[in-house]
Amino acid sequence: MKKVVDVSLPVGPVHPCFKEPLRIKCETAGERVLRTEVELGYVKKGIEKIMVGRPWQETMFLAERVCGICSVVHNTAIVGALEAISGIKVPRRAQLLRVILNELDRMQSHLLANYSYCYTIEHETLAMYLLNLRETVMDAIEKMTGTRIMSAYVVPGGVREDVPDAVLSDILSALDKVDSELKRYVKMFETGKLIALRSKGIGILSVEDAKASGVVGPTARASGMECDARANEPIYSELGWHMITRSEGDNFARIMLRFDELFQSSSIIRNAIGKLEAGPVRLGGKVTAGHVKHTIEAPRGDLTYDIAVDENGEVISVAIQTPSIMNVETAAHVMMKNLASAADVTSVFISADPCIACAER
Amino acid sequence: MSLLQSIKNSVRKRSIHVCYVNTGSCNGCDIEILACLSPRYDIEQYGIYVHNNPREADVILVTGGMSPQWIDKLPDLFDRVPEPKAVVTIGNCPISGCVFNRPGCVIDPPVSKYIPVTAAVPGCPPRPTEIINAILSAADELFKNHEEKEAKK
Repeated sequence: MKKVVDVSLPVGPVHPCFKEPLRIKCETAGERVLRTEVELGYVKKGIEKIMVGRPWQETMFLAERVCGICSVVHNTAIVGALEAISGIKVPRRAQLLRVILNELDRMQSHLLANYSYCYTIEHETLAMYLLNLRETVMDAIEKMTGTRIMSAYVVPGGVREDVPDAVLSDILSALDKVDSELKRYVKMFETGKLIALRSKGIGILSVEDAKASGVVGPTARASGMECDARANEPIYSELGWHMITRSEGDNFARIMLRFDELFQSSSIIRNAIGKLEAGPVRLGGKVTAGHVKHTIEAPRGDLTYDIAVDENGEVISVAIQTPSIMNVETAAHVMMKNLASAADVTSVFISADPCIACAER
Repeated sequence: MSLLQSIKNSVRKRSIHVCYVNTGSCNGCDIEILACLSPRYDIEQYGIYVHNNPREADVILVTGGMSPQWIDKLPDLFDRVPEPKAVVTIGNCPISGCVFNRPGCVIDPPVSKYIPVTAAVPGCPPRPTEIINAILSAADELFKNHEEKEAKK
């Protein structure tokens, strides 16, 4: 009789495929993965605790440093929450500039996620193409805000500074480049036989499982769930946003969905630049006491800031719910269950686009 | 300088293996290290290879301000790196803790309390070109005539 040996296989915390430290403990029988568990806590800093008792001018910069990949969206979320508390009006031009920057941020985040996946399945050529394309988007962000990451561009009542027309035309030409190059890379990804072998039908998350597990963002949309906080923002519908979903729910669907969203983000930015009119970008306001729960769509899913501020503008309590924690746990407990090969553990995990810095804060 | 040493010097100059360790950073610096891999900066043209395996690394890049989980693990990881080795810290966090070093936080900077640090690149985050520059200049100084320096000790 053949003897089945159960092996507990630890992956991480320092691993070639992971950008960030975490440990995945896999229980395997032969090559089959029976169940997995994630061990988090390697990058815990305690940001929410530092925020309490500080004026919101400081918490703005702390919120930005929750996550280095999607720093713009954290900045927008906390400023949006403060504006909702105090009833501060944002001028039209500033609203559109915020949308432009947020979509550029989403583009670079999705490109990075797809780069990570291609690198994990050892398709380094496509990975490097995507990483180089990301630099084009980073250049556009740098021209717009002055820095590559941590730009602190969104401030209460508007944005930090106006964007001249020359920069807007630079952004448009960067988008042209991204669109034309990306079409080629998507075709490479879609038709590559080796990519299909390592991606299609692996790490399947069914619609029922997706609904039960509370997964959000592109990972949920790739399983056919209509879940996007941008549906609640009228400015996005006006700029031609619509829900993109796929029904397969495997690794291939998650990556293809991000490619589709890249093209959509690019068209949203084009529409926003087309609708820009001259006007003020920053108006004043007065911070009042209050408590609000504000949700916007981060590149990885719904991001919620539950924040209470007193009349001096000091933060009484803050709770941040980031999308990554749901996606990480779902990846570990649902997608990796009964995986045929232990070699697919990392690729399934990376396809859910985990951001451990977001998840632990 | 012996012939063997000069051969080792010239080989080591073009073969620097890098491992990056995130000890509680916000990902910003890690992404800038990843950006160095892209064909625009092309870190491999200088002979720097990012493997992320401490057992074959020459240079460890440390980002982040030392979270409690890493306090026993980072010196352990440092011991596993073969000689000659160098530690380059990326960003403000390993130097001072940056914005996170406030009462109530759980991080414990600087990283130099736990492992010897050769060079530090400040910035929140530093640009990819600065990271490449730091790795090249630190590795050059440290690995040159390594065996002869060891013999003199």
